[in-house]
Amino acid sequence: MKKVLACSFVVLLVTFFLTTIASAHTPLCSCYDNGDGTITCEGGFSDGSSAAGVDMTVQDKSGKVLTKGKMNEDSEFNFKKPDGPYKVIFDAGPGHVVEVNGEDITE
Amino acid sequence: MKKFVLLLSLMLVFVLSAPAYAHFQTIYTPDSALSKTGWINFKLVFTHPWEAGHTMDIGKDEKGVNHPPVLFGEKFKEKTKNHLKALKPITFTSLSNKGKAYEAEIRVKGMGDHIFYFMPAPYYEGAEDMYIQQCVKTIINVAGAPTNWAEPVGNPLPVEIVPLVKPYSVWKGMTFRGVVTCGGKPVPNAEIEVSYINHNIKGNAFVVGENMKIVQPNLVPIGINANVNGEFSFTFPKAGWWGFCALGAGGNLKHNGKELSQDAVIWVQVTE
Repeated sequence: MKKVLACSFVVLLVTFFLTTIASAHTPLCSCYDNGDGTITCEGGFSDGSSAAGVDMTVQDKSGKVLTKGKMNEDSEFNFKKPDGPYKVIFDAGPGHVVEVNGEDITE
Repeated sequence: MKKFVLLLSLMLVFVLSAPAYAHFQTIYTPDSALSKTGWINFKLVFTHPWEAGHTMDIGKDEKGVNHPPVLFGEKFKEKTKNHLKALKPITFTSLSNKGKAYEAEIRVKGMGDHIFYFMPAPYYEGAEDMYIQQCVKTIINVAGAPTNWAEPVGNPLPVEIVPLVKPYSVWKGMTFRGVVTCGGKPVPNAEIEVSYINHNIKGNAFVVGENMKIVQPNLVPIGINANVNGEFSFTFPKAGWWGFCALGAGGNLKHNGKELSQDAVIWVQVTE
């Protein structure tokens, strides 16, 4: 019986740590207007890890995809500023998605 | 008439007994945690923050000549930027006088930690017949991604306080820790004074109104000694901007033949 309890405890402990690790890093994405008709978005995680390779999408108001790409090795993604309203989606998987509205992207 | 004399005497006693609160070089900006890239304003004032008191003319020597600042820069990841040209002279108004200070508008660009530092020319303090030079820094974060807050600025900043706690996400009741360094090496048993912006800053002036009531003047400034490894800690009792000044961190130095106290200062914003 003691062994079962001990095993359960270990399993609980492992589960706890796994859960903690998964929730400890928050996805981050921040964009700015370069003032030359282009936008730069930077990405990362709150634990300081890189966002290289994360999927990036730029959509217009109706959800139509205007640009698609990935964060480069410096965790940056550059694109031409769309003429109308738009939003940027940083997609690092379920629970790790950040949306940035075009109107919040300033110099 | 008698009443007037009494009032005058009382006022004189008050002024004479007002304690000499610590000198502090500020590198003030309203927010240390920014949500995105943008422009921010810094106020670089050499003052007595607890009581929003006497403000000194930055870089004034014993002859009354003002010398320009030595360093104003930003370290972001591996890169260092010189911002000396962004400094604009201002007159800062304290609750008791006006002093020569600087301000700067800086575009903080890029996600991560931006370490801003400032080193004025030594200031001659007549009351102590010595020079004071405070190397000050603060860390501004953009968009929450931690990068280089724990790293020292290093050369050319001779002395500094390196934080051991992420300095832009500290909350009331949390403990801050830091290391006092000189030339990259810890300063054992460094003597540290703690200050607080007790009257808010608006424009180029302090605004009357204590955030923390000082019920007895001898309760400030707060003093801490670092341990043999130059480390210290402090628990924040109140939200706002807190400053730590390691006195004479630069060791035995002289300027114009007089003693020079080269101090290391860091400012940390506490959230409630």
